[in-house]
Amino acid sequence: MEDQKTMKDIHLEERVVSDHAPRITARGVNVHYGENHALKDVDVDILSGTVTAFIGPSGCGKSTFLRCLNRMNDTVANARVTGQILLDGEDIYDKRVDPVQLRAKVGMVFQKPNPFPKSIYDNVAYGPKIHGLTRNKAELDGIVESCLRKAALWNEVKDRLTAPGTGLSGGQQQRLCIARAIATSPEVLLMDEPCSALDPIATAQVEELIDELRASFSVVIVTHSMQQAARVSQKTAFFHLGHLVEYGETGQIFTNPRDPRTESYITGRIG
Amino acid sequence: MTDISTSGAAAPRPAKSILSGGREMARRNAAETRFKLYGMLAISVSLGVLAVMLWTIFSDGISAFKQAKLTFPVTLSSEVLDPAGNGLREEMTKVTTIGYGRLLSAAFKAELAAKGISTEGVSDKELADLISKDAPGVLRSEVLANPALLDTTELRSVLASGRIDGYLKGRVTRQTAERDGQISPAMLDLADRLMDAGILGTGFNSRFLTSPDASDQRPEAAGLGVAILGSAYMMLLVLVICVPLGVAASIYLEEFAPKNRWTDLVEVNISNLAAVPSIVFGILGLAVFINFAKFPQSSPLVGALVLSLMTLPTIIIATRASIRAVPPSIRDAALGVGASKMQTVFHHVLPLAAPGILTGTILGLASALGETAPLLLIGMVAFVDNYPAPPVEGFFDPATALPVQVYSWASRSDPAFIERSSGAIIVLLVFLVIMNVTAIILRRKFERRW
Repeated sequence: MEDQKTMKDIHLEERVVSDHAPRITARGVNVHYGENHALKDVDVDILSGTVTAFIGPSGCGKSTFLRCLNRMNDTVANARVTGQILLDGEDIYDKRVDPVQLRAKVGMVFQKPNPFPKSIYDNVAYGPKIHGLTRNKAELDGIVESCLRKAALWNEVKDRLTAPGTGLSGGQQQRLCIARAIATSPEVLLMDEPCSALDPIATAQVEELIDELRASFSVVIVTHSMQQAARVSQKTAFFHLGHLVEYGETGQIFTNPRDPRTESYITGRIG
Repeated sequence: MTDISTSGAAAPRPAKSILSGGREMARRNAAETRFKLYGMLAISVSLGVLAVMLWTIFSDGISAFKQAKLTFPVTLSSEVLDPAGNGLREEMTKVTTIGYGRLLSAAFKAELAAKGISTEGVSDKELADLISKDAPGVLRSEVLANPALLDTTELRSVLASGRIDGYLKGRVTRQTAERDGQISPAMLDLADRLMDAGILGTGFNSRFLTSPDASDQRPEAAGLGVAILGSAYMMLLVLVICVPLGVAASIYLEEFAPKNRWTDLVEVNISNLAAVPSIVFGILGLAVFINFAKFPQSSPLVGALVLSLMTLPTIIIATRASIRAVPPSIRDAALGVGASKMQTVFHHVLPLAAPGILTGTILGLASALGETAPLLLIGMVAFVDNYPAPPVEGFFDPATALPVQVYSWASRSDPAFIERSSGAIIVLLVFLVIMNVTAIILRRKFERRW
């Protein structure tokens, strides 16, 4: 309980309850990996202009659900997704949907920083290039600069845009990956434990960045750290053993959980 | 060797002091030392064997790069070489190599007389036999190519006969000469005098690398020209056939193919093909490419097709391994920004896998370069005296290959061919070393870390 109080001290109470419209609506989503039923009947609304955190113990299905949102699960051979996920009212699992186009609208940042072994510039410019978002070099330069600025990386790398992205520090690499993800101007940004490979200072930078990104994108973040969820998110979903146990305002989840399992998890008794 | 303590409950307490190890510790350290010794022993044995092999090859073969030559002035008299006297090429071709041979031996005899070298005990025919039977032919083609040479006198270097060459290299002695129909001790004495007079000497044998093969009577003229050209043509064709096929197959199998029974079957088959004895591919080539498809026998094209069958599995296995070694996070990253599967593969996976693919390809080619058995079956062991034409027609001309040339020389009776055979092995080894070093350099250069 000690822990919880500290968390309460971090301005949880005065957090604004968002009244934004839902961007992604998931209804009755089930995921099977072969025989394994990994995700059971999940209903979630991801709101625009909001940071939504998915928390839960390892193997609870939070990353699986995240990867459903941009159909990254398609690359897993024996994964089967059922149910309905609507992005702005359109079913992303509709036969007519090209996952490639979907992924340009739903960007993703991964657990381990994974910049391409190319220059910093090429890392950011790759998405716009393959989607044909620019007409000339000047426009592309503009996008690269604005994305690196949004990712709070511009000042650190503006003099060495041709240096390899893999030569940056861990935190810089992750911010480069964020810049790369927002370069295709997505509507939703998915982050799969973006800070788990970073040190506390880099984590703080990325968290600050996430809060700023909220203005332009709706952000979904999977995290193992409850403190992080409490710090950056407005909405929190707690997953356990493939079930969505509880979903609500972050302040409410951490201070007044409705489900006993949520309470056990955030107080450290399970997980 | 790796002792894992099995005494569960009553494990002996470790010695109190860390300065003295105790018996258990000494035993473990001794095992480790023994293991290192085994390793060093194995490596020194293999290095020793390699050294012996290289020493035999080089001591036998290095002399193939040196050749005995006779140097004396030759007047290309037009009375003999151009009896019609009009300098027309058609007329001059009527003079055969016999005519040129007479001219050469006459010039040789005149030189000996001029230098006052005694030819005691050596008949005129034996004197002529000191000159290689290949020399008249070389002179003839030179004159026919350039009739302006007629009636000039020039100091010419012509090949000495194989026996004289052998005498200079220590292969022929006076004892063997007594029982040899082609040479006599008196001729060897003459050779000594010729050496003193500076007429007979040895020089670098560039013709060994450029000339075609020669008949049993003229080992001194035999060269690797056709074999090197044939091997080069085959490597070129193998590269052109194997790389696109192998890389495309690997990409499909690794990145696109569903994982099911069929792809498992394909995988098993590829691994099996890599292990099929090469002679079997030779029989297959004979049946399919020559008997069925009617491609010309002994041609680099057929050789390359057979070698491609052998090299493809190697290249596919190496390529798949290097594609698999590309971290999945790179694929995720590319897919995550909305690249299609194909863009992911060609923009990100292939460039990262390229060093591995390149190395696998070069090593596959190197093993194809040294392959002999299948080429014997498709007729590339034939005696080929003519250079294949430049590509593309040359791919259909008869040719031979380096390892096959080694084999065919090693099976000839004249000991002079043994030297040639070892020399050819040296050339083959040099090519292999060049290819392997290229593979290492390319890998170092393009290897990227992430």
